[in-house]
Amino acid sequence: MITIAISKGRMQESALALLARAGIRLNDGVNSRRLALMDETQQYRFIFVKPADVPVYVEHGIADCGIVGRDVLLESEADLLLPLDLGISRCRIVVAAADPQAMTNVQGMIRVATKYAQIARAHFGARGIPVEIIQLSGSVELAPALGLADMIVDLVETGVTLRENGLAVVEEIAESTGRLVVNRASYQLKSDEVGRLIKALEDRIT
Amino acid sequence: MRYYIGAEARLRRTVEDVAMSVFQAWDYEEVITPSVDYYDLFEQGMGQREAQRGFRFTDNDGRLLALRPDVTSSVARMAATLLSERPRPLRFCYAAPVFRQQTQSHAEWRRENTQLGCELIGTGGKPADLEVLRLAAEILSRLNLQSRYCITINNVEIFNGVAAHLNLEDRAREQLRRLIDTRETAELQRFLKDYPEAHAFSQPTQLTGKRNVIQAARSALTNARSLAALDSLEDLWMEIESLGFENSFEIDLGDVSSLDYYTGLSLKIFVYGAGASVGRGGRYDGLTGSFGRAEPAVGFVLNLDALTEVLGRTIGQ
Repeated sequence: MITIAISKGRMQESALALLARAGIRLNDGVNSRRLALMDETQQYRFIFVKPADVPVYVEHGIADCGIVGRDVLLESEADLLLPLDLGISRCRIVVAAADPQAMTNVQGMIRVATKYAQIARAHFGARGIPVEIIQLSGSVELAPALGLADMIVDLVETGVTLRENGLAVVEEIAESTGRLVVNRASYQLKSDEVGRLIKALEDRIT
Repeated sequence: MRYYIGAEARLRRTVEDVAMSVFQAWDYEEVITPSVDYYDLFEQGMGQREAQRGFRFTDNDGRLLALRPDVTSSVARMAATLLSERPRPLRFCYAAPVFRQQTQSHAEWRRENTQLGCELIGTGGKPADLEVLRLAAEILSRLNLQSRYCITINNVEIFNGVAAHLNLEDRAREQLRRLIDTRETAELQRFLKDYPEAHAFSQPTQLTGKRNVIQAARSALTNARSLAALDSLEDLWMEIESLGFENSFEIDLGDVSSLDYYTGLSLKIFVYGAGASVGRGGRYDGLTGSFGRAEPAVGFVLNLDALTEVLGRTIGQ
């Protein structure tokens, strides 16, 4: 048996749909409130955890595999194998601001509000732009309107939320899709089972 | 920061005693190295990137010291300087704590780990490689982990041969290494599109396995350096088969995590129940040269704390 950690929320539905196409179906209703479920064949156990916790469970080997967005992986420092780009929940990590010229117009220190402190620091750091990172845990789009920050670094799927808050994309940092991640020890010790899962998913990626 | 109390401490001591008695039965002499030494030593021994994970502080005269992040650097220097006149080969073993700064997600107490390790210095080739592999296997089976461990072996010269053949500049070489190390299939195939020589690495799931892995890689490689390394890996694998160990060993051509350090064989040790590898090692023929006396050397370390945790959990069940 192998344990797969799945990001709760945005990605959960498309991850389970992909697994179902690969012939791996949950035994119980997806809407069940239980946090651990088996599949029909009893070969896979699923645990549902917050996206940022998926790399943690997998790195420690509590889960053998995980399905999580690249945005979360870039933000985490976990040492994992990343065998498959599943192509689900495609979105972009962007810098956005009310004023598209903000990068040059702001004097002195630029304040950046974000859930992705690591990504933001690395992005601006690589270009030598001094920034003050303001770590938030949600509704980041509000920060510029309320005067907390000059810009934000956030995940954008359609851009509607940005526009509704009077923000426009200044630049794109990276694209993010759902990834299959695998624990290094499980990859060796459960190579047959993990290999079977990779193969089954690989054949279903569109 | 971790305390061991009573039964746990006894178990940990037992694991250490088992390993040290196996080392000593194979004629490995115990060595105790300084816990604090000049930072330069470790940078010379481990390379800057790894040595920087050590805890550093300054001496009275301003020179930089470090709490030892590994033992191998000290043993290599000792062999090249204090013991330069001693007849070869040298065989040394140790049980000693090492200290490294860890990234956030790692459990906190892992800043300190005790290594059970051995170094075989002054003799190269297959017999030496095989000796340390047999030692590792013997310790694990004496710990009742028989059929619950897996040792992966690779020869880093296979990758180095490909990188040299493709004339990759440092950044591209590091990118290729990282993609193979993390098995990023899609990105890897995109990267390798223009490099037929590297197609041996294009199917990450086919990099691990038994002898068939070598045959598959051979058909994709043309450069002499990689092929020679592949041959020596196959020779070693044949010996492992003839000892009847093939169920506990795997070839992993994708183990390219410490290329700056190893020069031939590299190995990683996995045990059921441990989420990360519990040991690692390999051949580092370049190391003693940086202390003034170049000679072949090979060794490995086991993580005493990780082994104790796994064994403690099994006994608890």
